[in-house]
Amino acid sequence: MRRILVVLSLGLVAGCADMQAKETEDAPRSRVFVANESSNTVTVVDGDSFQVVATVDARNHATHDLAVSRDGRWLFATNLASGRLSAINTRALETVASIATGDRAHVVTLTNDNRQAWVANIGENTISIVDTGTFRILGTIAVGKGPTGLTFSRDGRFAYVSNQGDKTVEVIDTASHRVLKAIPVGTNPHFLVLGPDGRIWGTNTGGTDIYVIDPVTQDKIASINVGPAPQQIAFGFKGLQGPNAYVTVAGLNRVVVVSADPSNLRILEQIDVGQRPNGISNNREGTRLFVVHEISNDMKVIDTGSSSLLATVPVGRKPIRVVYHGN
Amino acid sequence: MSVRAWRAGALVIALVAWSLCSSGGARPAAAQGVPVGTAQNAMGTLVVVRTDGIEHRLQGRGSLPLFEGDVLRTEAASQALIQLKPGIPVALNERTTLKILSRWDKAGGTTRILRVSRGGVWAKAGAGANQLEIETPAAVAAARDAEIDLKVTEDGQSSLTVVQGTAELGTPFGVCSVRGGTASVGARGTACTAPQPANVAGAVSWKQAVTQ
Repeated sequence: MRRILVVLSLGLVAGCADMQAKETEDAPRSRVFVANESSNTVTVVDGDSFQVVATVDARNHATHDLAVSRDGRWLFATNLASGRLSAINTRALETVASIATGDRAHVVTLTNDNRQAWVANIGENTISIVDTGTFRILGTIAVGKGPTGLTFSRDGRFAYVSNQGDKTVEVIDTASHRVLKAIPVGTNPHFLVLGPDGRIWGTNTGGTDIYVIDPVTQDKIASINVGPAPQQIAFGFKGLQGPNAYVTVAGLNRVVVVSADPSNLRILEQIDVGQRPNGISNNREGTRLFVVHEISNDMKVIDTGSSSLLATVPVGRKPIRVVYHGN
Repeated sequence: MSVRAWRAGALVIALVAWSLCSSGGARPAAAQGVPVGTAQNAMGTLVVVRTDGIEHRLQGRGSLPLFEGDVLRTEAASQALIQLKPGIPVALNERTTLKILSRWDKAGGTTRILRVSRGGVWAKAGAGANQLEIETPAAVAAARDAEIDLKVTEDGQSSLTVVQGTAELGTPFGVCSVRGGTASVGARGTACTAPQPANVAGAVSWKQAVTQ
């Protein structure tokens, strides 16, 4: 009897260990994805250890922008030279589809329900709407000249498209796909992102400023000079202070920290980084920044609490965009 | 080795070399990729614009190779017939512009795609590699084992008539399964309409002459 109990206990322990192992195996991990334009690849980095996990061939040319699904299972990458969108299975770490969107496919953003990927084609002034389940192109929307930035409002009712050539941000009604308004924003507008306050933040890469759009009035409500060639924006906290906007400023080789209160935009700090910083992303908690550099081909991990460097991770050639997915 | 054996060997080498040269390794077409079909007939003129901007014109019957990325255009009073590999006939009505594309995915392989910006096309798609998708500014039609006709107006409104088989018409707002003998319309900002009985013979009568 004692022997039977011992065997049963051992079996139970082994079963629990097995279950734990499976949970660990299935446990979602935080990941940082970097688009390397001149390598045609995506570097996958562990979001906690900052070690490179894999390099994924995008199976296209000039991999430029990235969007990751909410569940972290899918990564979509635009490819400028190919005019195509790569669909990457993040578990298999493999490109599983290549979708022809349009000439100079520049940026990609997922709709809030993740059912569609919207791709801005800078070479033909259109947005391609891709079904993320079937990978079919469901339709296109004609926009202004040189669409280079794309994001959605919190409620998903509006899409915002920045047009370099027109110096505007267009507001698209997602229920009708009609352009409602073109908001003048400044010189060579580029990156767009939804801020933590529900407002739309953008950079004027051809100028020196960033700006904020109110999705209620659909007007530009604030802007601030941060330095030459501002590129992308992430958000985070410095201890109790925040949320702050962290802007990569290519002309300064710095990340400029701005208070994220549109009624009182002011520069709080400047953090020296590498040569020509472009992509920037933050972890979910807003305590880490991931900054990629076009010249030095690396990613710097910065602690927002101390503004200090935690790690430098080698990535591919000419990294442009970095996105984080955490669990 | 005898002289006869030497001659036989030299002949074999020459034949192999000629075969390699004539198989197209160094032809300009090889630099553009593998042909994905041929333009076989044009009533009036079919204009084919390559990705580098070079234009070809087909008038009457012919066998003009087509490549991925080519833009095909017919003007007023012109129609054309093309054959996409591995066996999908497609007719272009007058005032039609389309681009030949594809999508690759690991599970399904390569799907041939025609991106129609204006005009009308008729196509007979098969199963597997012979399936076809036609994208328009407002919708996408997916045909497998089906004969379809698709008309695209200047504003992108897309009318799909299914002659036989079943095809799908999708817009960003929904997907409709369209059976033989019925038609559905996809317009910008709306879901596709419920399929309605259609005059199929009338819808495809335009392509009779060019497909003969």
